[in-house]
Amino acid sequence: MRSVNIPDLLVVSNGSLDHSRTEVLPPTFWPDPPQWKTFAKVWEERPILLWLANSTFAALGSVTLSMFVSVLAGYSLSRFQVRGGNSLGLFILTAKMLPATLLVIPLFSIFRNVGLIGSIWSLVIAHSTLIIPFTTWMLKGYFDTIPKELEHAAMVDGCSPLGAMIRVILPVSAPGLAATSLYAFVLSWADYAYARTFLTNSQDNWTANLGITTMRGEYVTDWNEIAAVSVFVAIPILLIYLFLERYLVGGLTAGAEK
Amino acid sequence: MANISIRSVHKKYGPLEVLKTFSLEIEDGEFLVLVGPSGCGKSTILKILAGLEPASGGQIFLGKRDVTDLAPADRDVAMVFQNYALYPHLTVRQNIGFGLRMRGMNQQETRARVLDAAKTLGVESYLDRRPKDLSGGQRQRVALGRAIVREPQAFLMDEPLSNLDAKLRVQMRAEISALHKRIGVTTIYVTHDQIEAMTMADRIVILRDGKIQQIADPDTMYQHPDNLFVAGFIGSPGMNFLKATPTELDGIAAVSILDVKIPIGARRLDGARKVIAGIRPEHFSFGKGAISVNLRSTLVESLGSEKYVYFDCGDHLVECKMEAQEESSKGLIARISQSGRIAEGDEVPVSFNPADVYLFDADTELVVR
Repeated sequence: MRSVNIPDLLVVSNGSLDHSRTEVLPPTFWPDPPQWKTFAKVWEERPILLWLANSTFAALGSVTLSMFVSVLAGYSLSRFQVRGGNSLGLFILTAKMLPATLLVIPLFSIFRNVGLIGSIWSLVIAHSTLIIPFTTWMLKGYFDTIPKELEHAAMVDGCSPLGAMIRVILPVSAPGLAATSLYAFVLSWADYAYARTFLTNSQDNWTANLGITTMRGEYVTDWNEIAAVSVFVAIPILLIYLFLERYLVGGLTAGAEK
Repeated sequence: MANISIRSVHKKYGPLEVLKTFSLEIEDGEFLVLVGPSGCGKSTILKILAGLEPASGGQIFLGKRDVTDLAPADRDVAMVFQNYALYPHLTVRQNIGFGLRMRGMNQQETRARVLDAAKTLGVESYLDRRPKDLSGGQRQRVALGRAIVREPQAFLMDEPLSNLDAKLRVQMRAEISALHKRIGVTTIYVTHDQIEAMTMADRIVILRDGKIQQIADPDTMYQHPDNLFVAGFIGSPGMNFLKATPTELDGIAAVSILDVKIPIGARRLDGARKVIAGIRPEHFSFGKGAISVNLRSTLVESLGSEKYVYFDCGDHLVECKMEAQEESSKGLIARISQSGRIAEGDEVPVSFNPADVYLFDADTELVVR
């Protein structure tokens, strides 16, 4: 666990180092004294809030679209036995097996034709194409663990099948939905390749990851500044984890059955 | 409350017919138990009645309403599930009141009816708890509360006691029977436990491979089984089945069982060449009697008030494969209430009355009357 956290620690400590000490071996983990002014400097000089807002919009948009599609698809795959259902499920999963970079050119071509190049919506759609296959299977697996009797009980109690899903199955699936949403959010938040391809010419729509790469200079790179911005970019993910933690650890179906 | 009429309902999954043509009239207020081994179709018919599974054909009437094609919500039945199926994210109060809310009942009336149902079942002190904070018995009561609060036309219960421990099961069995007597709603109860069926039912329906074997009240089912399956299924321990050969004794019809000729009275074998004789374990006694044979005991199980004594009958015993009859593999079983010492390996005289011997046609498996 400690070894996993060393890169994180290094990023934070580099952000609080003087520029001249960021490329020295061995690396400094505990700056003495820490240079917090780097954080203030990048906050003033770079449009970090705009980058974060764009990343947040792309990530939340991807999560919303992906969850809407994958909840319905995962629930259908889990509950309804239709001819070819298993093959359809596997076919959906094959989309996840393709490398993301393989889709860059066809997606670029499509977005150019529909006028989405340079728009943040291109990221929402592109990220969703990556997220949906996997989240559909994640949610199918989660729905499989929920006893069918719960929605049967809800239907006998007066719900329609869709009503039973919304009123009973989705609240009970909160941990699964939280984990899946988190996966989708992080995947979208961490994207660089699609943002680089679709948003290069529209600086107002740059996401945080794309913005950070523009901080590399031709001759000199201020790694302490890049590290400081990286810390700002990581904060939303930490906050999301904290917000979803109670759902992630909860076993909400406890008590439904014996 | 209403009577239920099931008319020629059947169910197929592709080529597999899990429920053969099923017709049944259930009286208003009746407690009907569907019983049979796993996979006999008893839960399927319950789901069809609830509207959770479509029937492949036939009609279902609830009172005068044809509910065959209605959604579960529109049938006005309540169902209690084997695993309770309580909504884990809701409190007991919300669980019991869920059906009322779905039907648009106002908050005040919902609250009053939930409290009434909770008092009836003794769960009023748990109303603000979640299901995970309740014991198995309490959860089952909440599941019952969710059913009775709606005052439906009929209750459907799918093995509601099978997840409870033995002691609690006996207690809840009595509570459900008492509840039924008090509110008098038509109830269809599914179980694989023949003791539940015998103790709770007004009438029992025995199913096997999707087909009704017999419909009768518990006493008739026990005393006058229609066929070999019913005879073996009802009773604990199950009936002993022995090879029997048609013969004559002093010029009257008889069968030979355990190498002893036994008159069959007015029963007519109608040319059946292969016959199976059935004797219930409780119809054996030690010592000399109307018909006596000497048998060697192989195993003695003492239950305190009575003993189960197994005897080696060699190839006289007929192995009938049914779930309820695990004992048959150990030999002929006698349920003896007399005290006294019987040791394994003893050869003892065992007697029974010819009138207690059931005869079945080995080919059709029907009882010989």
